[in-house]
Amino acid sequence: MGAISKIYDQLLFGMAGLSGVLIFFAFVSIVVDVLMRITGLEPFIFIMTMFEYILLWFTMLAAPYLLRIKGHVFIDAVTQFLPPAVKTFVAKLVYLLCITGCCIYGYNLMGLLLEAVQSGELDMRTYEVPIWLLFVPMPLCFFMCVIEFLRYLFGVDDMYSQSIEERENV
Amino acid sequence: MEWYWALATLIGMVVFFMAMGVPVAFTFIITNIIGVIIFMGTTTGWVQIADNSTQLITRFTLGPVPMFIMMGALFFHTGLAIRVFDGLDVIFGKLRGRLCFLTVAGGSLFSTLTGSSMANTAMLGSLMVPEMQKRGYNWQMSMGPILGTGGLAMIIPPSALGVLLASVASIDVGKLLIAGFLPGFVLAGLYAVMIYLQLRINPESAPAYDVEMPPMAERIKIVCVNILPMGFIVFMVVGFIILGWATPTEAAGFGVLGVIIVAAAFRCLSFEAIKTATHATVKVGAMVFFIIMSSTVFSQLLAFSGASAGLLKWTISFGISKYWILLLMFFVLIALGMFMDATSMMLITVPIFFPLASQLGFDLIWFGLFVLMTFEMAGTTPPFGLLLYVMLGVAPKGTTLYQVAASAFPFLVCDAILILLMVQWPQLALWLPSLMG
Repeated sequence: MGAISKIYDQLLFGMAGLSGVLIFFAFVSIVVDVLMRITGLEPFIFIMTMFEYILLWFTMLAAPYLLRIKGHVFIDAVTQFLPPAVKTFVAKLVYLLCITGCCIYGYNLMGLLLEAVQSGELDMRTYEVPIWLLFVPMPLCFFMCVIEFLRYLFGVDDMYSQSIEERENV
Repeated sequence: MEWYWALATLIGMVVFFMAMGVPVAFTFIITNIIGVIIFMGTTTGWVQIADNSTQLITRFTLGPVPMFIMMGALFFHTGLAIRVFDGLDVIFGKLRGRLCFLTVAGGSLFSTLTGSSMANTAMLGSLMVPEMQKRGYNWQMSMGPILGTGGLAMIIPPSALGVLLASVASIDVGKLLIAGFLPGFVLAGLYAVMIYLQLRINPESAPAYDVEMPPMAERIKIVCVNILPMGFIVFMVVGFIILGWATPTEAAGFGVLGVIIVAAAFRCLSFEAIKTATHATVKVGAMVFFIIMSSTVFSQLLAFSGASAGLLKWTISFGISKYWILLLMFFVLIALGMFMDATSMMLITVPIFFPLASQLGFDLIWFGLFVLMTFEMAGTTPPFGLLLYVMLGVAPKGTTLYQVAASAFPFLVCDAILILLMVQWPQLALWLPSLMG
């Protein structure tokens, strides 16, 4: 069990690391693209599509990690006034709702991924790419989110233990 | 189902789940799942909502969001922000209330270099509040200007929230960003006037003190070295967009490059700073994008259920002045902002407010800026305005939420004055975008 947990953690943090690498690569690619255009070189036509795909991959790969570090924004304007026992009950209910939501999304996205692989359908953008590339990280992300919510449900950690000053947003 | 029941059901579900403490992104996911069963009567629509969720976040126009976050994070983590402050510090001399004016000037400059209000407020708060307290400034004067100026990052380009708003509302990202430039600096001017008036009323709120000033030549050198290079970064973002040399996404990429070049020139660029900035981008950017992804279907459900169209027709049917409806929208946003963060507020209200504003004949770039201004005000409105809590987090121990909120109030008045100016003279917001063709 310990070994599986360790491998899972490595996957979770590895995916977050890859998310960071991807977004930095997106920045480099966009600068290179413009510089090529300015200097009269033929820019790579796939850059815009690649950038758009990176936005999705970067989001999906980091989502379970954000749950682990309590980085998803929530509102505790009401729950903070609840008695501790009720608050714990509501929190468990929240985890169950989120698990259900993620299972439904994950299952349907898995179906879409398999369908896209079988059909070989292309995504019509500035550069055509197999549409399954879009769906690859999504079922994985949602199923890993289920695991993260299960951790909270079984009391390994508490999603609401972060103070409001520590929260980040735009 | 009648449109008002559809609207009440969808908005009610979102508010209910958020109030339960469901993370915002998952609130939309759960609402979408239930909404499909209610309005389509079948679970087969779940495949459709999963499929549609990729539509908005794979848009090139959303690219500036992570780029602006990275740019701001690099600016703070490389130490460039401190250099800007040091540069500005020598300009104000022995002026009474100099730290307040320094906050407004520094905050306005930070806003042109970072896209995040929270980062701006946290940075200004942690830097300026201890110094102001040490110099005997009272709590109104030490926190108010920071709260006001911190919010400027929402409207002065580059604004990550502005890009989100433009993308979600399907308006021109570049034009909305540029539209915030002039009003942002007018607002900074109004803040300066407000500080001056507060000092006139109560001179002891910010006691004068002796400052050892370097000779004039040295001061000019400090300003040239520490501040002028930042113009290069601003030009790479704002200049590139106005001149049409790059799309907002490309300009944002160049903004990041600009910060890296300037930091390297000052020898303060390190692998650690890049790593920390990238980590911040993943934390904030991915979180916001996950919310956007899950909320895309929510807007479609609002349209599919007939709620948006019904509300639109109903509101128009009264035949009242469009400015009354604008005022109503303002109060709705302020009320929501008391409990929600700007991103959540935006995703709930944009599918309803923008079609309404368009129908009423408001210019959507102008209206976008109005919404951003209102978000800025909502962020400093008690009891749960996020900027108030950011400030409380960096304020000295013993500071109360009442003190933070009360110190922000005069600056909220300035925000309201700017909105009135924009209503009276829309060109204040629309002149610069009009130059872009």
